[in-house]
Amino acid sequence: MLNKNKVLIFALLIVFSSYGQEKQKNDSTVENELEEVIVTGTKTIRKLSSLPLPALIITQKDIEKSNSTRLSEIFNEQAGLITIPDFGGGEGIQLQGLDSQYTLILIDGLPIIGRSAGTLDINRFSTGNIKQIEIVKGASSSLYGSEAIGGVINIITKRPVEGFESDLSYYTGSNNTNDANLLMNYKKNKIGFTLFANSYKSDGYDLDENDELNTVEPFKNYTINSKATFDFSKKLSIAINGRYFDQIQDYIASSELLGESSIKEWNLSLTGNLRSNDKWNNSIELYKTNYYANEYLNTTDGENYSSSFYDHNLIHIEFKSIYKTEVSNTYVFGLGYNNETLDRTYFTTRPEFKSPYAFVQYDFKPKEKLNLIVGGRYDSHSEYKSQFSPKSAVRYEINDQVAIKGSLGYGYKAPDFRQLYFNFNNATVGYTVLGYNAVSEVLPQLVDQGQIANIVVPLSEFNDKLQAESSIALNLGADVKFSSEISSDFNLFFNNIKNLIDTRVIANKINGQNVFSYYNINEVITYGLEINSSYKPNNNFKLSAGYQLLFAFDKEGIRAFNDGEVYARETPVSPAFQLNKNDYFGLYNRSRHMGYIKLFYENYESKFNGNIRLTYRSKYGLYDTNNNTYLDVYDDFVKGYMIADLALNKEINNYSKIGFGINNVFNFKDINNISNISGRIYYSKINIQL
Amino acid sequence: MRIMKTIKFFTIALAMTSFIACDSDNDSDDTIPVVSITVEDLHAPQQGGQGQPISGAFTKFDFDLGMETDSETDWDIAFRATDIIVNGGMSMGTTDEPDRTGDAGAYIATGTMEEITEVDINLFTQDSDSGYAIMSGSGNGWYTYTGPPTFLITPTPGKILVFKTADGKYAKVEILSYYEGAPVDPDAFTDQSRYYTFNYVYQPNSGETTF
Repeated sequence: MLNKNKVLIFALLIVFSSYGQEKQKNDSTVENELEEVIVTGTKTIRKLSSLPLPALIITQKDIEKSNSTRLSEIFNEQAGLITIPDFGGGEGIQLQGLDSQYTLILIDGLPIIGRSAGTLDINRFSTGNIKQIEIVKGASSSLYGSEAIGGVINIITKRPVEGFESDLSYYTGSNNTNDANLLMNYKKNKIGFTLFANSYKSDGYDLDENDELNTVEPFKNYTINSKATFDFSKKLSIAINGRYFDQIQDYIASSELLGESSIKEWNLSLTGNLRSNDKWNNSIELYKTNYYANEYLNTTDGENYSSSFYDHNLIHIEFKSIYKTEVSNTYVFGLGYNNETLDRTYFTTRPEFKSPYAFVQYDFKPKEKLNLIVGGRYDSHSEYKSQFSPKSAVRYEINDQVAIKGSLGYGYKAPDFRQLYFNFNNATVGYTVLGYNAVSEVLPQLVDQGQIANIVVPLSEFNDKLQAESSIALNLGADVKFSSEISSDFNLFFNNIKNLIDTRVIANKINGQNVFSYYNINEVITYGLEINSSYKPNNNFKLSAGYQLLFAFDKEGIRAFNDGEVYARETPVSPAFQLNKNDYFGLYNRSRHMGYIKLFYENYESKFNGNIRLTYRSKYGLYDTNNNTYLDVYDDFVKGYMIADLALNKEINNYSKIGFGINNVFNFKDINNISNISGRIYYSKINIQL
Repeated sequence: MRIMKTIKFFTIALAMTSFIACDSDNDSDDTIPVVSITVEDLHAPQQGGQGQPISGAFTKFDFDLGMETDSETDWDIAFRATDIIVNGGMSMGTTDEPDRTGDAGAYIATGTMEEITEVDINLFTQDSDSGYAIMSGSGNGWYTYTGPPTFLITPTPGKILVFKTADGKYAKVEILSYYEGAPVDPDAFTDQSRYYTFNYVYQPNSGETTF
C-alpha cells in the first residue's frame, strides 16, 4: 500500500520535472577550477557549493595538515560525526545520531563489506592514498540501496596523474605506533599506474593496568592498493583497481586463554567509461570483494579452546548512463546486480542474497536559481521484501549571499545475515540466539531435544519475512556568506526509522535461560541542528567551528514516559518512584551537544603550517544503570569531554617535509567508559618526494 | 541462614493508620491490622546454573509468619536464586522443586508500593509446567540482568509483585536488593548474591482486596 503511494508520488514528481524543464534557462555559472567537486551526492560530478544535499568534503590537504594516519582520527574532527567503539574493538561511525550500521561506506564508489557484528571498523582504512573523502548526510538509498539510511561516506583514492613521482612517508608515535607509506604514480599518454603500500603497527595500549587484558592488544596490518588506467581514446577509458588488506592482532581472553584474530580482505574492480558524445556518458562497474576474519583461543598447554571464522563475499555489477540535455539538465539511469554470500561459524546455512536493482535520477534547473533533483531506486531481493526508495532535493539561491536547500529521502537497511541465519548457543551461560529464518528449523529441534520449557512466541509468527529497517529523512538547510571572510551553513535534520530490528525472547529453556530471536519493533527518531562556520581574515589564518545539537529517542520510550510507566530509584535499594517525560534522555551513546573549533595557520614564505583542533562531546549514557530499560536522567552518565590536538608541519625543501604533533594534549582518559581514547600521543613524521 | 524481621517505627505507624481506617470502614471488631514488613537478606541458594542443571531446595516464605518456613504445605512463595514460585498451580518439574499444596497466585503490577492499593483478582496466574507465574529471565519478571561489564541482577524499578497467599489472602512485594546487606552500590564480583531484601504489605483479612 505504502509502496504504491510512493510510486505514485514519484511518478508525479517525474511528470512535474519534465514540465519544469521547458522553462529551463541555460546554466550560465562560470566554472571555478578550484572549486571542490563531489560525485557521491548524485553519481555525477557536481560542485559541492551548489549541491542541494547536506554534504562535506575532507580533502587530502585536511588530512595532511592534521597528520591523521587512520580514518577514525579525521572523522572525529567533523561536526556531527563521531566514532564509537564496539565490543569487538572496532570503531564505527555515528552520523546524525544513527549507528554505524546505517551508514554506507564506499571506496571509489564501491561498497565495502566486513561488518561481522554490524560495525564496519574504519580503523581498517589508511589515509595514505586518499584524494578526498565525500560525506553525504541524509538517507541516500535512492542511489545506493541498502545501508544508506544515515548517509554515505565515499573514500576517493588517488588516480594516476601525468608524470612520474614517488612519495615515501614515515610516522612514528606513542604506543610504538609506526605507519609507513609508499605511493608511486606513473602516467604517460594513455597508460597510468599507481601503487600504494602501507604498513601500520602498534603495541596498542592499556587503560586499566589492574586486569590481564590490554584495552587494545598489539596489532599490525598491511594495505596494498594498485590502479591501472588505460585511456584508449578521448571517449573510452578503463581502470583496474586491486586492494589487499591483512591484519593480525593478539586475541587474549585471560592469562590462560591466548590466541590471535586476523582479517584478510581484498577487492578487485574493473570500471569502464564510454563517452559516446557530448550528451551520453556510459559506465560499467565490475567488482568483487571478500572479507575473511578468523580468531582462535588456545589454552596454555596449546589446546584449542575456541575458534570462529567469517567469510563474506560480494559481487557487484552496475551499468550507468548519464544523459545531459542541451540545457545541462542531467538524467542518470542505472541497472545493477548484487550477489552476496556468507559462510561463518554459528550459521544454519550458507546463505546467498541476490538483488537486481534499477535507479533513475533527474537533476535539473527549472529556473536559473532553482535546482531540483528527483530520483528513485528499486531493489528486488531474494530474501526480504523488495524496496522502492525515492528521493527529492531542492536548492534555491535567494541572492549571492544566501541559498536555501532541502531534501527528503527514503532509506533502508536490509536485515543482515546474522539477523536471518544465526544459530548460536552460549555454552557457558546457556542461552540461544536464532536468526529469524532459522527459527522454524532450529526451534523444533530444540523441542525434540527436550531443551524447551515453554514457547513464548508461536512459530506461525515467523511465516512472514522479516522487514527491512526503513527511514524517512528530511534535511532543511541554508548556506550563508556573511562576507568574503565569514561563511556558515546550517542544516536541520530529522530521521524517522521504522521496523528497527531488535531481539526478544521467543522461548524459555529448561535450564532457566531463554531462546532469543530477531523481530521488527522499534521506531526511532533523531533530529537536530548542525552548523558549520569558517572565518578567514587573511591568507594566513583560518578559523572554523562546528556544532551539532542532537535528540535521539525511541518512540516507545517517549510513549512510556508520557504514560508514566517508567520508574526509578534514588539508590539501588530505595523504593521506586515514577518518572515523567522530561526525565527521558534518549538513546544510548548519543551526546546532546558536539562541536569543534579549529585554528589553522599557514606561513607561505617559511613554508610552515600549524594548527590546533579542539573537539567537544557532551555527556552521554552507555547503559541503563537503574534498570528501567530506558536511559533517564537518574542513570549514570559518561562525563562530557574535550580533546585538543596540535600539529606542526614544515617543508624543508622541495622534496621533503617534516611534521610533529601532540594528539590529546591534555591527556584525557576515561578508563571505565571510553576504550578508544588512549591518552596523550606524541608523534613525528617525515615525508620525502622522489 | 539469617533472617531479620524488622518492623520499623514508621511501619508500625502505617499499620496503625490502616487499622484505624479499616476499623472505621468495617465497624467490625475482629479486623486484623495490615502488616508492613521489611525482610532483609533472605538467602535463596541454588546449585548448578550457568548452563548446568539447576537444583537445590527453594527457600519458602510465609507472609502471615513474616519469615522463612520449612513447612511442606504452609508456605506462600519460595525463592531459589532469581526464581520465585508460588504455592499454587503445578510444578515445572525442576529438581528439588516443591509440590504446590495451596491456592497461591501472582501477577506483576507496574507502579510504586503506595500506588498499588487494590488487588485485581482477574490478573492472578499460577505456576504451571511451562513456566512460573512470576516469569523467569531478565526483563520478564522482577529483575534485570545488566550483562557486561557489571553483571548485576537488579530489581526492576516500578515492578510490584502482587500475591495471593496459599490460603487466599493478599500481599504486595517490592524487591529492593539481591545482594547480601543490600549494598547501595552493589558489586557482582565481591558482594554475595541470592540474598533478597524486600518490602511487603500483607492484608491478613480474608476477602479484603485493598492495602
